[in-house]
Amino acid sequence: MAHAHSVKRHKGLMDWLTTVDHKKIAILYLLAGGLFFGIGGIEALLIRVQLAKPMNDFVTAQQFNELITMHGTTMIFLGVMPVIFALMNAVIPLQIGARDVAFPFLNALGFWTFLFGGLLLNLSWIMGGAPDAGWTSYTPLSSTTYSLTHGVDFYTIGLQIAGLGTLIGGINFLATIITMRAPGMSYMRMPMFTWTTFVTSAMILFAFPAITVGLVLLTFDRILGANFFNVEAGGNPVLWQHIFWIFGHPEVYILILPAFGVISEVVSTFSRKRLFGYSSMVFATILIAFLGFMVWAHHMFTTGMGPVANALFSIATMLIAVPTGIKIFNWLFTMWGGQITFNTANLFASGFIPTFVMGGVTGVMLASAPADYQYHDTYFVVAHFHYVIVGGLVLGLFAGLHYWWPKMFGRMLNEKLGKWEFWTFIIGFHLTFFVQHFLGLIGMQRRVFTYLPNQGFDLMNLVSTVGAFLMGVGVIIFLVNIAISFKKPVGLPDDPWGDGRTLEWSIPSPPPEYNFKQTPLVRGIDALWKEKVAGHTEMTPAEPVGPIHMPSPTILPFLMSVGLFIAGLGFMFTSDDFGNSFLNFIFSNYIVTGIGLAITLGSMLLRSLFDDHGWHIEPEELNNKGVKA
Amino acid sequence: MTNHDSNGGAAVKHRHRHEGPQKHVVAFIFSIALTLIAFAAVAAGGVNTAFTVLILLVMAVLQVLVQLGYWMHLKDKGHMIPIIFMAGGFFVAATAVVAALYWMWW
Repeated sequence: MAHAHSVKRHKGLMDWLTTVDHKKIAILYLLAGGLFFGIGGIEALLIRVQLAKPMNDFVTAQQFNELITMHGTTMIFLGVMPVIFALMNAVIPLQIGARDVAFPFLNALGFWTFLFGGLLLNLSWIMGGAPDAGWTSYTPLSSTTYSLTHGVDFYTIGLQIAGLGTLIGGINFLATIITMRAPGMSYMRMPMFTWTTFVTSAMILFAFPAITVGLVLLTFDRILGANFFNVEAGGNPVLWQHIFWIFGHPEVYILILPAFGVISEVVSTFSRKRLFGYSSMVFATILIAFLGFMVWAHHMFTTGMGPVANALFSIATMLIAVPTGIKIFNWLFTMWGGQITFNTANLFASGFIPTFVMGGVTGVMLASAPADYQYHDTYFVVAHFHYVIVGGLVLGLFAGLHYWWPKMFGRMLNEKLGKWEFWTFIIGFHLTFFVQHFLGLIGMQRRVFTYLPNQGFDLMNLVSTVGAFLMGVGVIIFLVNIAISFKKPVGLPDDPWGDGRTLEWSIPSPPPEYNFKQTPLVRGIDALWKEKVAGHTEMTPAEPVGPIHMPSPTILPFLMSVGLFIAGLGFMFTSDDFGNSFLNFIFSNYIVTGIGLAITLGSMLLRSLFDDHGWHIEPEELNNKGVKA
Repeated sequence: MTNHDSNGGAAVKHRHRHEGPQKHVVAFIFSIALTLIAFAAVAAGGVNTAFTVLILLVMAVLQVLVQLGYWMHLKDKGHMIPIIFMAGGFFVAATAVVAALYWMWW
């Protein structure tokens, strides 16, 4: 590796558009995720305003359908997924003692395709109507017969492009964790968050192809007039449900497993104890992933699969409670007898445990097929999945953001505001969703845009709306907290919590762009804690100081994603009449699509034809401390 | 990361030991033979189409094994992870396809 190149360093906006540094990509994911989380949150509040009182006419039925569809789609695919990827990008290379991910170029490409897919989906609001067939987009409701606008086309093509980014990210983290662990870090010495990221990435690899195929089929049905889901022409609408849930059920475990990892790290750090039952945690994670692929049809108990299928999927679903229970008890035993610090991160983690258990219990109730005939499509289901996704995943993400914020940005978040944030959010959360269990049990259906008075729904819906606004207040306090933290100067010790156990706490906050000046030698589980116990202040290096090879920044991932965005938009409007002969010409002859694809393929050609060997940071530079991220 | 010098000790390294060309020649002949048998089975016609299809399937499976084992080096040391992932992917996909088809059409 002797070819040292001078590197072109970009500044300002260009630096962010061309970066391949995992720490900067993490910040980009966080910004984009925050943006979509905000949009999804506003949609949630509008839904709750409409449902606050009976016979409300705050929005029309059509607008309500668009709101619930976009709320679900945005939150799952564009809100929480990128925040998960933000944490993975910020933390995983640091936790395993690596200098970047395995494929830095692909990492950037994954982010930009996700962002442009998400933007395309949200463009539907101002381009003739958002998707309105629910986040599951069941056929025939999502077919051109019942969904006349381009909404569902934005859904299929936007998610296709965004899904590409997720798949790329998953493959990247698999390769990173398999090949780039520091010397001495065997699989059974990996931190728990690394383990859950590893298993989540494997699930992404196996689950996302299913939705890719499903979205292609639905796109063909809608735009090219195919009949995969059209009964009249021999298609089968239930096929969509199978394909969607073969992806969709693993997807919810893809969401929750990283949260399990975060909770394991936070609980262990702030109890000043090693994670209880580490190997059983690993086993439980893998078992959840495996079972996650075997239970998709529990979303389809009422489609008439028959008693044998329903019984099998019922039992398989209930089995998942076993490994999940293992995890819950392990967290409790980790806390038991520990020196617990209840700071904001640990409050969110401790709030997670009982809240997630409640979501799990309603999950086992729903797993019972006969009972599910009663719960199906009622607010009981809405309460259940918000308990596991918001009460589980979102609390986990808040815990993770508070825990790793000092590492990502070199600034502490305010603890006092953090506690306000936690209490408003969790009280608001339970107010919003606890009552929805009972709304469902007394018969309120989900996805209805209004309801008649005096059915016992009125008060509980109002409570739910008040709770939703309280959650909004919690999020606003979090944003204020972030804004205040950026007023402070950067400057924190390597291990600002004082109790850091894993490798990310052995390097500066924020880390330099090469992360580790010397790759550390890992001598056990909780590598840094092990050194601390042995009386050392830092990790033993596994290599002498030498030149560090770095990847070059590049604009190509951005251009490839812009190309896909243009191609997707062009493909959607091929059979529209714009009332303008020029526009009609370029859209109906696939010229717009062609331009977009030409940009993407041209960028790929450039990437293939011109080798970029990267550049080196020389040891003199490292010693001068001249290089800062 | 692209720093090849400091790659982890836990990392799986490709060990292409020098094993000479003989094994590859054998594998190549085997691949060609499997292909020829498949073509011959179709060309011969035969009385029973189902039997021909069965032969084709068996030849296809053997061909996949030869390709993966010899040409993709899965029989060599240090390829446990790809094998686990391929087997896992195959299992998940097969379960999904078989179960979904079974409950939709039979």
